[in-house]
Amino acid sequence: MSRIESIISELSSISNNPKKAMEDYKKETGKGSVGVMPYYAPEEIIHAAGFLPVGIWGGQKSISKARAYLPPFACSIMQSVMEMQLEGVYDDLEAVLFPVPCDTLKCLSQKWKGTSPVIVFTHPQNRKLEAANKFLAEEYRLVREKLEKILSVQISDEALNNSIEIYNENRKVMREFTDIAANYPNIIDPIKRHAIIKARFFMEKSKHTAMVKELNSELIALPVEAFTGKKVVLTGIMAEPNEVLDILKDNGFAVVADDLAQESRLFRNDVPSGTDPLYRLAKWWQEFDGCSLAVDTKKSRGPMLMDMVKVYKADAVVVCMMKFCDPEEFDYPIYYRQFEEAGIKSLFIEIDLETTSFEQTKTRVQSFSEML
Amino acid sequence: MFTMGIDIGSSSSKVVILEDGVNIIAGEVIQIGTGSTGPKRVLDEALSKAGLTLQDMAKIIATGYGRSSVEEAHKQISEISCQAKGVFFLVPSAKIIIDIGGQDVKAIRLDSKGGVKQFFMNDKCAAGTGRFLDVMSRVLEVNLDEMAEYDSRATEPATVSSTCTVFAESEVISQLSNGVAKENIIAGVHQSVASKACGLAYRCGVEEDIVMCGGVAKDLGVVRAISKELKKPVIVAPNPQITAALGAAIFAFEEVIGANK
Repeated sequence: MSRIESIISELSSISNNPKKAMEDYKKETGKGSVGVMPYYAPEEIIHAAGFLPVGIWGGQKSISKARAYLPPFACSIMQSVMEMQLEGVYDDLEAVLFPVPCDTLKCLSQKWKGTSPVIVFTHPQNRKLEAANKFLAEEYRLVREKLEKILSVQISDEALNNSIEIYNENRKVMREFTDIAANYPNIIDPIKRHAIIKARFFMEKSKHTAMVKELNSELIALPVEAFTGKKVVLTGIMAEPNEVLDILKDNGFAVVADDLAQESRLFRNDVPSGTDPLYRLAKWWQEFDGCSLAVDTKKSRGPMLMDMVKVYKADAVVVCMMKFCDPEEFDYPIYYRQFEEAGIKSLFIEIDLETTSFEQTKTRVQSFSEML
Repeated sequence: MFTMGIDIGSSSSKVVILEDGVNIIAGEVIQIGTGSTGPKRVLDEALSKAGLTLQDMAKIIATGYGRSSVEEAHKQISEISCQAKGVFFLVPSAKIIIDIGGQDVKAIRLDSKGGVKQFFMNDKCAAGTGRFLDVMSRVLEVNLDEMAEYDSRATEPATVSSTCTVFAESEVISQLSNGVAKENIIAGVHQSVASKACGLAYRCGVEEDIVMCGGVAKDLGVVRAISKELKKPVIVAPNPQITAALGAAIFAFEEVIGANK
């Protein structure tokens, strides 16, 4: 097995088995894990406490118990998170960080059924005012205070600034990775790309950075191979389950860039420099644009996607529409029209973690491939 | 030279045998689809009608929901590409295709050469599909092929939900028990199907000529409702259930010709 294959295999295994990653971290450090709900929670505060931040993104499973608590039109991430809460899956977590940038999260945050304490905080939506930074920094101060109490630790500004630098380094290396991966689609297929990125949610970030950095070096040492398939940019919340990525792969598509909330949206911007770590983290939210969950009066998502198509010489955009995600569904008609005007081809596929039948997705992707 | 297109849908199986890319020698339909005896039976019927054997076919292409399970096929092409090809062959002025089959609704925008420019499919939900009409036909005790006639006698169409087949079914049962005339309920059912299909057509951009195909296109009540909603005439493709199989047979012909060049 080449070094590239072994790194990918290790990261894929971590991404497929978060529980083991948590157990390994505990064995190694004696410290536990803190859950991080989507979207855009300041993981750095958990990292600075010495605990492992673990991303909570639900999973592919059938829903039954959650039906008692959620309406059928809640997105499938939250349906599966609720189902797993009820099954006790998250009860090993020391705490759960819970941002609430959409209505479903807001409601779900008030009915957590696991045993771990939940720390809810709010992202301000009138984001471009200075007051928004002050508000969010204060929210983060409360998050830090609550975490300190629950975890029985002190989180110093120095430790927090240090964690921000570790995270910024990871963001930079991930941006490099997605750029490099775009040149090696025969090696980094859509599933591997996703697994390498997803492993970030279950690893101490400097370890993830080191592995991806090494992978990047190994990749760029190889000659760039010709790719005969089509290149696409993914947009949406997530492109799971893996069957969806398998269908893209089987139809000869490579993912050359993404604008997924679970992937590049998390690392396309660094946390800005400064001395007050909580203010720095708050400022990241102000500077972050192009996401349906963050009010964006300029509606920059469409132009951002069109730039990505140009920069990465993509053939099209694949819209991975999370079923029943209102913010994403509201954004779609806006950027779809912009694509039409610019002559950019796009495919709409539905993302539903509960589904086990992918025939419709297969038909859509195959038709799109034939259309291109 | 003969080529064959096989379209295995969720609720019907269709075969077209084409001579030299232009003459339809056989176009057969059996009203059971993938996973049933339908695919084999329709294949046998088409060959028997044409007096040909599988060995006479220069190429066979399969399409439709069950396209991957057709062992006789040399290749699979999606039903969206095949519908576009088949409809454009029959109606070269087509710009928008509305295809309503057993479990899928599709709106397809064509370019000037008949290629697919954009398409949208329904969500994974039976509302607005042929299955929706099947369910309503059973509840209303009216055969599918009589529904258009009932609709034409409607005086005040009832309101029927287009969100969910199960909800719509209970609405229809409630209207029946309240004594609403079947004619008016059926017109409401047709409007419900139309609103689902037109939602997809609006996304594609509505442009004449609009052509309907798929099994549901045989229900003129649905065609009228779609035309009314879009405020434009709707052309029903000749023999609308076999257009995807026809497209597959044309693709097969083009591939043989291309390979021979």
